[in-house]
Amino acid sequence: MIKITDLEKVYRTEEVETVALNKLSIEVKEGEFVAIMGPSGCGKSTLLNILGLLDDPDAGSFIFNKIEVANFNERKRADLRKHNIGFVFQSFNLIDELTVFENVELPLIYTGVKSADRKKRVEEVLDKVQIMHRRNHYPQQLSGGQQQRVAVARAVVNKPKLILADEPTGNLDSHNGNEVMELMTELNEQGTTIVMVTHSEHDARYSHRIIRMLDGQTVTENILV
Amino acid sequence: MFKTNLRFTWRNLLKNKTYSAINIIGLAVSLAACILLLLWVQDELSFDRFHSNSNNIYRLAASFKQEGKDNVWSGTPAPVATFARKELPEVANTCRVTDNWSISLLEYKGKKYFNNRCGLADATFFTMFNFPLVKGNARQPFTDDRSVILSETTAKKFFGEEDPIGKILNADDKNAYHVTGVMKDMPFNSSIRYDIIFDFTVLKRDYTGNDYWKSLDEDWGNYNYSTFLLLAPGADSKKVGQKLANIHRRNQDGEFTKNLTYIPLPLSKVHLYTPEGKDDGITIVKVFIIVAAIILLIACINYVNLVTARAIKRAKEISLRKIIGANKGGLFWQFLHEALMIFLIAMLVATALIYLVMPLYNEIAGKRIVFNPLQGNVLLVYGITLLATMLLAGIYPALSLSSFKPLEAMKGKLSGLGSKVAFRKVLVVVQFSFSIMLIVGTIIIGNQLKYIRQKNLGYNKENLLYFGMRNITEHYDAAKAELLKQPGVVAVTASGADIMNAWSSTGDADWDGKTAAQQTFVINQISAERNFLDVMNLQIVQGKGFSGTPADSTNYLLNETAIKVMSIKDPVGKRFTFHDKKGVIAGVVKDFHFQNLHRQIEPAIIYFSPWRWRMYVKTTAKDASKAVAAVEKIWKQYNPDYPLEYQFLDDAFDTNYRSDIRVGKLFNCFAIITILISCLGLFGLVTYTAETRIKEIGVRKVLGASVPGIVSMLSKDFLKLVGISIVIAFPVAWWALSKMLESYPYRTAISWWVFALAGFITLAIALVTISFQAIKAALANPVKSLRSE
Ligand SMILES: Nc1ncnc2c1ncn2[C@@H]1O[C@H](COP(=O)(O)OP(=O)(O)OP(=O)(O)O)[C@@H](O)[C@H]1O
Ligand SMILES: [Mg+2]
Repeated sequence: MIKITDLEKVYRTEEVETVALNKLSIEVKEGEFVAIMGPSGCGKSTLLNILGLLDDPDAGSFIFNKIEVANFNERKRADLRKHNIGFVFQSFNLIDELTVFENVELPLIYTGVKSADRKKRVEEVLDKVQIMHRRNHYPQQLSGGQQQRVAVARAVVNKPKLILADEPTGNLDSHNGNEVMELMTELNEQGTTIVMVTHSEHDARYSHRIIRMLDGQTVTENILV
Repeated sequence: MFKTNLRFTWRNLLKNKTYSAINIIGLAVSLAACILLLLWVQDELSFDRFHSNSNNIYRLAASFKQEGKDNVWSGTPAPVATFARKELPEVANTCRVTDNWSISLLEYKGKKYFNNRCGLADATFFTMFNFPLVKGNARQPFTDDRSVILSETTAKKFFGEEDPIGKILNADDKNAYHVTGVMKDMPFNSSIRYDIIFDFTVLKRDYTGNDYWKSLDEDWGNYNYSTFLLLAPGADSKKVGQKLANIHRRNQDGEFTKNLTYIPLPLSKVHLYTPEGKDDGITIVKVFIIVAAIILLIACINYVNLVTARAIKRAKEISLRKIIGANKGGLFWQFLHEALMIFLIAMLVATALIYLVMPLYNEIAGKRIVFNPLQGNVLLVYGITLLATMLLAGIYPALSLSSFKPLEAMKGKLSGLGSKVAFRKVLVVVQFSFSIMLIVGTIIIGNQLKYIRQKNLGYNKENLLYFGMRNITEHYDAAKAELLKQPGVVAVTASGADIMNAWSSTGDADWDGKTAAQQTFVINQISAERNFLDVMNLQIVQGKGFSGTPADSTNYLLNETAIKVMSIKDPVGKRFTFHDKKGVIAGVVKDFHFQNLHRQIEPAIIYFSPWRWRMYVKTTAKDASKAVAAVEKIWKQYNPDYPLEYQFLDDAFDTNYRSDIRVGKLFNCFAIITILISCLGLFGLVTYTAETRIKEIGVRKVLGASVPGIVSMLSKDFLKLVGISIVIAFPVAWWALSKMLESYPYRTAISWWVFALAGFITLAIALVTISFQAIKAALANPVKSLRSE
């Protein structure tokens, strides 16, 4: 599903040039659950952003669903993104002004799903993440774990083929963290490909394969299954 | 503490450049506009207040009630002053002043000067008013009735460095006048402004003792003189007026004076009120004060909006300070310092701006305001604006910002003003409502001016030039014949009046069936040559007009209004007596505007008479310059001593409305400034909204929101506010402008398209302002906003 070859990303500020990704090559197959690990600053988030078509690489190839997308323009990327990819962030990134229901509904609005269908699907996923009873609450009124479950619900409501998660448990205690990880496993079992960045060996063990990065390159890969 | 605050404020300003710039530029422009307006207002209000007696000096107006309609003249007969001083103990002093029309050229040793502003005044002039003499005796300025007092500038013009006292000036009334004093130039903010003052009593020489009016002091029929009274402190001015009317009736009995009253108008009101004391120029002064207040208010709203919007971003800083131990008072002072600093910087910028635009402003406003920021009155204006802004915009936000609940604020929640989005929305609605009202006002005022300029005056004002004839009067027929032979001259006629400014009127008219109530009937008189109506394109609606026979000297033409007021049925052929000359009504002239359009058309008579002093020459657009050349040639022939001063009628027309046009222009300028400032505030607010919602925008984009979607999300709320403003502003503007237009007897209609246009303009401007920031925010890469946690 994903095949990147010799990917490069360099951040230039006035004084320094940071090579965030250095000729990185990775492949992720459909249905896989991959964890990416590595020390802080090694380029994990950068990689995830590129995989999520939020950012474009400076060089290299990125094939997504058999299509070369490395030099897609903004609009094409946005289109591909909203139909195929869901995101889960460390800091949840829910919109404070919207209720739980409205937050989860948002991706469906953007892909043009009709109102009646939206309601059904949002209720479905909220049920799945067991947050249905809180549907009319605002994010601040929820605990961290609950917020992240909402974020996961939002990520999957469009039934994306790929979910990208950047330290989804980073702000959660172990109990809430496990809940989220189990949710991810369940989604994976239903066929969603997942790429997850994490600092926790414990969480990484939920995945099939761990890619370890250092200074913008892969160092090792452990296959767990 | 103060120093740390200062340093911190300064750093804060530098750190948030857009914010500071919007705040300072907005405030500076508004302060500049506000101060400019107030300077104008102050100049208008300062008129005639430099006299130390100004509170006790009054100018008399003569008022006649005529069928419910007041007829008010700003002049009185000459004897009124004499009797006032003689018989009324509360009248401490009097002074009569009038223009000296009989002199237009003065000569000294071959040096000739025209167009000096010549006035006649009683000897009390220099003691009652504060027109200081540099040379001469203020108590006895004139040694005899051929004495004159010159202004410093005029004296210098004639005599250079020589001592003017005793010098002889030869005037074109064939008399020699000798200089007995030099006065300081009269200030620009004086209603009385002359270069040369002649002795009023010289007018006595015009009476031979054989006419109806025996002498100046017995002439109760000539209302040409401004009479100023200096009343004793505490005197009842109204009673003085009544007493003077009684004195007048005692001396001149009859129907005409039955309803006469004298109305003393305080000198300080002369400039801005009608002779009887009704609002005149003061309306515009009031409007401008309101506009100044609106501008200041909008600027303050901008400040409050920006400061409180920014409070969201500063919540953490403020809470941290509180947790560390800052108390409410300390924070309050810090915010006040910040406000004060911004205001002071804005004031400096405003001062620079005022300096820059002052020459242009003076030109547009037709003023000579000298701007000196250290002058007392300017400092006062500064002080008032500073105080107002500090009260409106400094203290309130400072109070509410310093009363955050720190723990909640740390979590990004705001208590107090910062959280009240609704409050900011109200402020935006307020400022846009004002802006829309001003836009509507600008369009309507523009329309009214256009309406006046395009109004059919009832005669043709194109390709007509006119001038005072002087010596040509005696050789009119020859000069006319000569002119008609010249290329470019289509027709020539003459009249005793300026057709655009005919102010000569008389009550000396009689007809069959004149009722007692009609005894005070007053008619404007226009003497004319026979072909006057043809050349001017005046329309006769009944009768034949002048016949071309000697009988024309008693053939009177009356306008429609005159016929209506006199209520004569089938007027043509009816008897009419004018200045004791029996004649007939030979025609009815369609109403035409012989005075400016601020005035309703009044009764008028056109009569054939050799008493004509103004020549009208009709030409064509193409050959106008040839006609001018022809007139110049004839002029030199008859008036070698005088320069030719001609004017095209349409130019003269524009001159008539110069002050309307000026006010219109000023209003435009300030309306535009108001709208710009409102938009600047909106811009700042949108910028901050976009900034505070940057994370949300990022999330939405990641989830698939399109750029137009984000732009409309950000703009919608603000456009809704502008929409609400429109709904509020329209009825208010409609009401206010109908009220304002009421002062014009001839006025444009307030049509719906004006409102549609104003609404459209406002929405468009707001949309551009908003979308600029909204698009910028929507295009930003979401990765950046999401990673900064
Ligand atoms: N917008 C940017 N501008 C400049 N440098 C950047 C930018 N984003 C990331 N970097 C740099 O690129 C490198 C990789 O950053 P990245 O965020 O991918 O690290 P990470 O592996 O996700 O770290 P962490 O585990 O702390 O989240 C870092 O050195 C970072 O400083
Ligand atoms: Mg990271």
